[in-house]
Amino acid sequence: MLFKISLSGVKSRWKDYLVLFSGMMITTAIFYMFEAISTNDKFTTSSPVGQNAKFVFIFGSILLAIITLVYVFYANNFLMSMRKHDYGLFMMLGAKSKVISKLIILETLVIGLASTFVGIILGVGFTKGLSGLLSSQIHVPLTNFSAFYMPAVWSTLILFLVLFVIAGLVNARTFMKTSALNLLRSNQESDWKDPKKRTLFVQAVVGLVLLAIGYYAMYDINHLQLLAIGIGLITIVLGTYFVFNSFFVMILEAVQRSNTSYKGLNNFTISQLKFRIRDYTKILSVVSLLFALALGAITVGIGFQRMVPMMAAGNNAYAVGLTNPSPKMKSLVGGIDGKTQVTYQQKVDPSTKSVYYRASQFEAQPFKYAHFTNQAQLKSKIDNASLTQLKDRASTAYASLNNLQTPLTRSLRIRLVSDTTFNQINAKANTLLLVRVKDMDAAATTLSKITNLQTRQYGKKVSEGLGVGGAFETYQLLKGVFGSLEFMGIFLGIAFLAMLASCLMFKILSGAASDKTRFEMLNKIGARKSVLNRSIAVQILGLFILPAVLGIIDVAFGLQMFIKANLLHGAYQTFGWSALGFSILYLIYYGITVMIYSKIVVPQTKVEK
Amino acid sequence: MTTEIVRTKDLHKTYDQNGPKPYEALKGITFSVQQGEFVGIMGASGSGKTTLLNIMATLDQPTSGSVEIDGKDVTNLTANQMSDFRSEKLGFIFQDFNLLETLTAQENIALPLSLQNKKAGETKQSVEAAAKKLGIDDLLSKYPTQLSGGQKQRVAAARALVANPSIIFGDEPTGALDSTNARELLDTLTNINQQGVSILLVTHDPFSASFCKRILFIKDGKIGDEIDADGKSRNEFYQQILEKLGTFEQ
Repeated sequence: MLFKISLSGVKSRWKDYLVLFSGMMITTAIFYMFEAISTNDKFTTSSPVGQNAKFVFIFGSILLAIITLVYVFYANNFLMSMRKHDYGLFMMLGAKSKVISKLIILETLVIGLASTFVGIILGVGFTKGLSGLLSSQIHVPLTNFSAFYMPAVWSTLILFLVLFVIAGLVNARTFMKTSALNLLRSNQESDWKDPKKRTLFVQAVVGLVLLAIGYYAMYDINHLQLLAIGIGLITIVLGTYFVFNSFFVMILEAVQRSNTSYKGLNNFTISQLKFRIRDYTKILSVVSLLFALALGAITVGIGFQRMVPMMAAGNNAYAVGLTNPSPKMKSLVGGIDGKTQVTYQQKVDPSTKSVYYRASQFEAQPFKYAHFTNQAQLKSKIDNASLTQLKDRASTAYASLNNLQTPLTRSLRIRLVSDTTFNQINAKANTLLLVRVKDMDAAATTLSKITNLQTRQYGKKVSEGLGVGGAFETYQLLKGVFGSLEFMGIFLGIAFLAMLASCLMFKILSGAASDKTRFEMLNKIGARKSVLNRSIAVQILGLFILPAVLGIIDVAFGLQMFIKANLLHGAYQTFGWSALGFSILYLIYYGITVMIYSKIVVPQTKVEK
Repeated sequence: MTTEIVRTKDLHKTYDQNGPKPYEALKGITFSVQQGEFVGIMGASGSGKTTLLNIMATLDQPTSGSVEIDGKDVTNLTANQMSDFRSEKLGFIFQDFNLLETLTAQENIALPLSLQNKKAGETKQSVEAAAKKLGIDDLLSKYPTQLSGGQKQRVAAARALVANPSIIFGDEPTGALDSTNARELLDTLTNINQQGVSILLVTHDPFSASFCKRILFIKDGKIGDEIDADGKSRNEFYQQILEKLGTFEQ
């Protein structure tokens, strides 16, 4: 019987439940995605940071679990705000509060479990899609990684089960304590009190000063060392809270005082936003900080990736050096876009422990070598090598050329000789084909095919630790080191973003039910539908954009830590792009929230013409 | 000669007309309200009085028939025209005052004028004038939570009045009030009416209705009867309403 009532309750509000259900599914899917990496020890510890990565993921898991908890509670509040009236009615009709409690727990669990199951399936799909996309984008083979991973399924299932049981119990308890009458008339007035001007001002100043201290600490990390992180954490968390609680409210009050507030619903919109910001200070602060964390993780992740081609480019001007390339290698080289190539003749004489080249060829087609002009900023330059440089074993040019030869000849001495001398050497003439590429990332697939063929050609020597040489070898090596770090960074960032945006979305949506009467009144006194929709769009935009702006500023200063510590180069360029991508995802959430909110609160005009 | 402020002609409203169970809420209602009148519409639940009010208030449209308010046919307006018409010509008093808690009394009262995009100076003047009429000019900077029930009603009444509407509609405005506050609101409405504002009240409460000058009784979607205060005292009129209800509802 209980189950029947519960089910009919869900049926009658199917559309609202669909919102909740899809939100839950996505949350589960995100958590699963994260767990698929986090619980996979083989994958995390095989990364170059090894054990450390595991700690990062344990920390991330806990953080994500906390956000999930918050999310589940908000989502449940939303659910309960829809059901309050029904439950009140059941109780009026004589249902005992115990029965209602059971009903609530049952409903919460059924919805929770169903969404968890579907969410996990969705999560496997997401994981497969995203990991495939990332690994092809950043050219990292993901060994030991699989989208479906049983331990991840278990940990997701258990966490959500526990969360839903807790949420169900808490909901039931709240209802036990509320009288039937209060449930029926649950659209109570909000208890808005105009904040005192002086308190606002003091809080705003304190907030801004705290943020400034935090930002400065991160900027001055070289000097403050670890202390910078401690100071930054405390001051930025507190500063963010105060800035939301007062500074933004003060700005809105200033806008409200201007005459423009008497146009249309401006006054209503601003005052509602002001009220919401103060009411949501905690969640907005958390969202802002998580936004910073997520964006930071992605920026740092992508930043590492962007450094790879730069580091490789400074290492050697040529991507690969092919000695006596096979026709297959030649055709692969032919397929690379925007390449330049040069061929030198070479004779190897083991008796003199030398590799001979024609000096004339190096005069006609100068050998190019790369060298860093600014190691810290990874700026490098490519120059033509003079014959003198190529004869000097200590020169960068000599080392570059040596690096491009086969692993078998790298221990021999390079000698540039006249054509006559070259012709007199009694050895087979080899060709050395050097290939430069404009865009290492674009050519990566072809280049790795070539180096695979080279590895086979050179055989044992390569496996002994001597690589095939060239910039691409460095590129691949660095990809191995940074690629999985980047993968984790991006993955972590997207998971955090999706979660925090969902949290914000449901917090806002759970307030929609009580907003309904306000919008009905405004409709009656003659506010056009478009005016009502605009007011909603602006209110919600404020709630979405303020934490994002603060988060972006946080990251902008936070990156200084990486830059000052020489860990990351070209960070701000990366930051710009990742902030853009991030904002687009975030805006999609905003759009969905506005759409659902409008559907709930804006009265449908009965006759549309 | 008085002018007609509301005139309805053979109003019909059928819900779910093409559905499996069409329901006829209004079955040909014709009546008019003169400028400066205080008219009550009474009827049991489901009699069609709220449907009638919604149609007159341009919140709904009739299936057939016409409604003219202040000489304008409102049955063929677009959604936007309906909204504009409401903000310019109609005032509303709701059951729960419906004041916005985050706005001061002044800002609440100003809402209908803001929706018409009136200039700030003009708005402030009109708000002050309306507040003065209702004796709440010293409360303008207060928030609703700082006001008593009676004060809130007067703010709500000022909001209904501020745009100089052709008529004020009240849908069970005393429904959620205790007797003292209900009495105060009805006195306020009488006061507004005496200053020349037309009022149409929908109620099923005989006490509220006794403040009106004329009452239309609706039953099953039709006007069944009509009585006039005709110079009777409020108490006598109240008795008459009770008697009428006794016979009418049977």
